[in-house]
Amino acid sequence: MTEQPMTHAQAIDLAAGYVLGALEPAEEAAVHAHLRSCPESHHEFEELGGVVPYLAEIPDLELVEPPASLRDRIMAAAAADLAERKSSATAEPAATTEPPAPVEPTAPPGPDAAPLTFPSTAERPARRDQISPFGWAMRIAAVVAIVALAGWNLMLQGQLDRTQRYDRAVADVIAAAGQPGSQSVILKPNGESTARGIGAIRSDGTVVLAMRDLQATSGTQVYETWVITPGEGVAPVPVGSFTVDVNGTAAITTAPTTAPPGSVIALSLEPGPGSTAPLGPIVSTGVGVAPAG
Amino acid sequence: MSDPSGGYSGRTASPSDDADRAVLVLVADGQLDALQDLYDKYRTMAYSIALRITADASLAEDVVQDAFLGAWRNAARYVEGRGSVKTWLLSIVHHRAVDAVRRRKPTTELPEAEAVPPSNLTLPDIWSEVAGNLERDEIATALATLSDVQREAIELAYFGGLTQQEIASRTGAPLGTVKSRIRLGLLSMRHALVGAGGTLAADGFGDEPS
Repeated sequence: MTEQPMTHAQAIDLAAGYVLGALEPAEEAAVHAHLRSCPESHHEFEELGGVVPYLAEIPDLELVEPPASLRDRIMAAAAADLAERKSSATAEPAATTEPPAPVEPTAPPGPDAAPLTFPSTAERPARRDQISPFGWAMRIAAVVAIVALAGWNLMLQGQLDRTQRYDRAVADVIAAAGQPGSQSVILKPNGESTARGIGAIRSDGTVVLAMRDLQATSGTQVYETWVITPGEGVAPVPVGSFTVDVNGTAAITTAPTTAPPGSVIALSLEPGPGSTAPLGPIVSTGVGVAPAG
Repeated sequence: MSDPSGGYSGRTASPSDDADRAVLVLVADGQLDALQDLYDKYRTMAYSIALRITADASLAEDVVQDAFLGAWRNAARYVEGRGSVKTWLLSIVHHRAVDAVRRRKPTTELPEAEAVPPSNLTLPDIWSEVAGNLERDEIATALATLSDVQREAIELAYFGGLTQQEIASRTGAPLGTVKSRIRLGLLSMRHALVGAGGTLAADGFGDEPS
């Protein structure tokens, strides 16, 4: 991860670059972490950042109309998202606009084919008086588009979802890693796998992970999270399993365990839940590191 | 802040802003036709910005799609008083476009799986905006307060997606000079925008620049 936490003065020095998105990735990460943890005022960021949206309106910006097909794509993707939201809302009440809840240990496989239902008018108290015929036509067109292009849409949707979910998961990990007594973990792919991510081991022994590029689970398969404490002949301890859909991302908070610095965090793909020792391939590993100083 | 207009002393939100907020409430409620309204209103601006930054029509389309999908999912997180829906939306477009350009460039590709928070997390809710419905010529006036080198640095960052270090190597100026050009340029614009009648949005700044 990063070396030393950034000082307040260093963060302020980078404020202009930050609000413009013109920092190097490591600098940006350090400023971001600073903003999340530093109790002091950061008005410099607000003052400078407030100007940035206006740069979009510089007078010599050439105005170009996007192709009409873009609207259809966006509406189809939004309709697919709505359908997924509805189906996950029935599966897990609440959490419609909140970031997704951490993957519950051994959650049932995610809905592969979300039912394409739109809310009835009764369910929509705040909607407009009238839906234009075009509005309905658009919805119907969107549904048709999803059905017809299910694979394509899922892929597209997957790309968007992957980014968003991973973003949020990473934010959670960074928040956890910033707590006193937390360790951080970089998980790298193992063997044939491409799975990677970052994690934090909190002082209470829970492990928070943000993973991406995981192969989707199928059937009874689950990923299991293992903690292997340093020392000879120590058996891996399973701390939480989860399923992964085609997005390949996961936000995980495990059960608490004992994980002193130097512990290995490993993910394995298990044929089913409840493994007491890793049976399947280890897909990703990392070592818990306590912050320096 | 109980008085909704309390944050705007010189100007009030325009009818267009109010209409946008109403549309955004419907978007947050999952109304597809509201999303379409929002798209139709800002698609040209959004696409033009994305195209200017990416210089790639297909990538610009992906960026706009990604941004509107982001708005669709996160409409409930829009905070009134932190600027108009328009600037909120366009800042999402901008950030996604810069991210897309960065991902395309091998030299600045994110290191694998490092803990770099995707930069769209840092936007747009971290700061308050200069509020008020400034006209384009007012923005042009504010831009005119910049020196050529300040404007160049800011445009390379904003439209070029370059980092400060990349701007330094591109222009041959030392990094510290680039940083101060950007900072002073933004401050200068801010003073000009505030002077043009925009006020600072909502709460926040106890220490107004004089």
